[in-house]
Amino acid sequence: MLHALRAEWRREWVQLRRYPTELLSELAVIVLVFYGLFLGGSYMAGGSILGGRLSDIIVGYTLWTLSMMSVGTMGWTISNEAQNGTLEQVFLSPYGATFILLLRNVAGVVIGLLFTILTLFSVMAITGHYLFVSLWDIIPGLLMIASATGLGYLVASVTILMKRSQQLLNLLQFILLFLIMLPTASLGGPWRWLAIVAPFSPVVALLRSMMTHGAALFGTGNWLLWSVVNAVLWLLIGLLVFGLAQKKARRRGNLSHY
Amino acid sequence: MLLEVDGLVKRYRTKDRQVVEAVKGIRFSLAAGTILAFLGPNGAGKTTTIKMIAGLVRPDDGDVAVEGHSLSAASGQALRRLGAVLEGSRNLYWRLTPLENFEYWGGIRGLSRKMARERGRELMREFGLEDKIGSTVQQLSRGMQQQVAICAALIHSPALLLLDEPTLGLDLDASDRIQEYVQRLAHERGMGILLTTHQMEVAQTLADRISIIQSGVLTLEGLKEDVLARFTGSSYVFELAEAPSAGARQLADQLGAAWTGEQEFRVVLDRPTDVYDIMRALEPCPVVRVMRETADLATVFRAHTRQSVPVQSGREAMA
Repeated sequence: MLHALRAEWRREWVQLRRYPTELLSELAVIVLVFYGLFLGGSYMAGGSILGGRLSDIIVGYTLWTLSMMSVGTMGWTISNEAQNGTLEQVFLSPYGATFILLLRNVAGVVIGLLFTILTLFSVMAITGHYLFVSLWDIIPGLLMIASATGLGYLVASVTILMKRSQQLLNLLQFILLFLIMLPTASLGGPWRWLAIVAPFSPVVALLRSMMTHGAALFGTGNWLLWSVVNAVLWLLIGLLVFGLAQKKARRRGNLSHY
Repeated sequence: MLLEVDGLVKRYRTKDRQVVEAVKGIRFSLAAGTILAFLGPNGAGKTTTIKMIAGLVRPDDGDVAVEGHSLSAASGQALRRLGAVLEGSRNLYWRLTPLENFEYWGGIRGLSRKMARERGRELMREFGLEDKIGSTVQQLSRGMQQQVAICAALIHSPALLLLDEPTLGLDLDASDRIQEYVQRLAHERGMGILLTTHQMEVAQTLADRISIIQSGVLTLEGLKEDVLARFTGSSYVFELAEAPSAGARQLADQLGAAWTGEQEFRVVLDRPTDVYDIMRALEPCPVVRVMRETADLATVFRAHTRQSVPVQSGREAMA
């Protein structure tokens, strides 16, 4: 399995390196966004946003982009590989398509994270403003990406059956953004379940209490526990639905018809 | 046995909710070191069958076993023993070089990078393409791309290779190279090869065994020599002094003529006296020569698919 992960990693890396203009344009977009966040943030807050709040914005933005990447990568992979005529070969892997898609997602997230870190250091060096991000932030980040991967499998399931996922992805972005903005943590009664079950909700509450209120990772009430439950739940739902969707596509005989 | 196909059934639901049985209980086996040409007209069920063998289409009934590993019960083990080059697919990443493709396809089949590279180099050397190993696939000719796709399908040294129209649209040189290589794979290295093609001359050159599928049923199966011999006594070649009229040609076509030139065709006849029916159809075009000859696969295929109406499934239909 390690060989498969390495193969996936190399494939991503070689494709990036082979077309430097694409690589540079991707980097340029990230640099511009971060530069905008640094400068724009301090301008809007009259110069006082630097420090903790800016770190929150940067961490939040990075997690959001990586999560959205995880939500979209697998569906995009399926439609792209089908159009390029390589999807069937991916499905011929003895490890199974579910695992290969997961590896591709992991490789994508790691490369995305490396880009982000590299860019952040460059922007910090240029602006002279330095961020202090706690290593504990990584844990909620990983949980968020795990939930996003589960959603990614759901998008991949729709793609493999309906052959289209772009509209769903657009819609999903808005729904997820709404769920993140909604202060579900402060909801009471039966609505409290929404804060636990809705994708990203508990992990956003966890991050909010850590970043805004300065709480420690293990001192956020039950939000860490609910975040783990939420991530596992959405990952399992995604895996289950994708397994069923694969079976159905094979039964229909239209795995690679696009 | 290397490949056991046991009673495969596939039904599809059409848009108007009717159920169409595309494959009806197909049953055959393939021994190591054998090339089986799996032939049939368009829509007969060839591609559905080959995709069921590869696990890409799920059968409604029946199973496939590769070296004893059931595709439904142990798909990972079965897929480790199987390689496929599928028609209508590129089968490769065009932005990568052949070597990078081998690393990737080998990796997701459990090979280390070193092993995939070594094996890939060896395969490219066998095709005489070692100098192309560093070019991106999109820079290669169509023939070379197909040869690289075959190398990629062989990267994990499978025991069974599925080839769906491997020489379609290739120039003579590339087609010859592939045919020669496929024969070596089977006859020198003991690999089992299941080949589908509409190019009867390719099937005739390569195949050890012939299977013909029609409307989802195997209607003919046997050793190539036996199949050809069965039709040889009734195969005739007609040579005409001039090209016949369109009407005469159409009548001859209806009687199963396989034209090899403007003034020459082959035909398999049920009875020797059917020669006169052909002569009448061609009238008034002068006939220069009529000769009984050894049947070729194209003529056999044409005659068989014209004559047989598939009503049975499995081996009963093949007797």
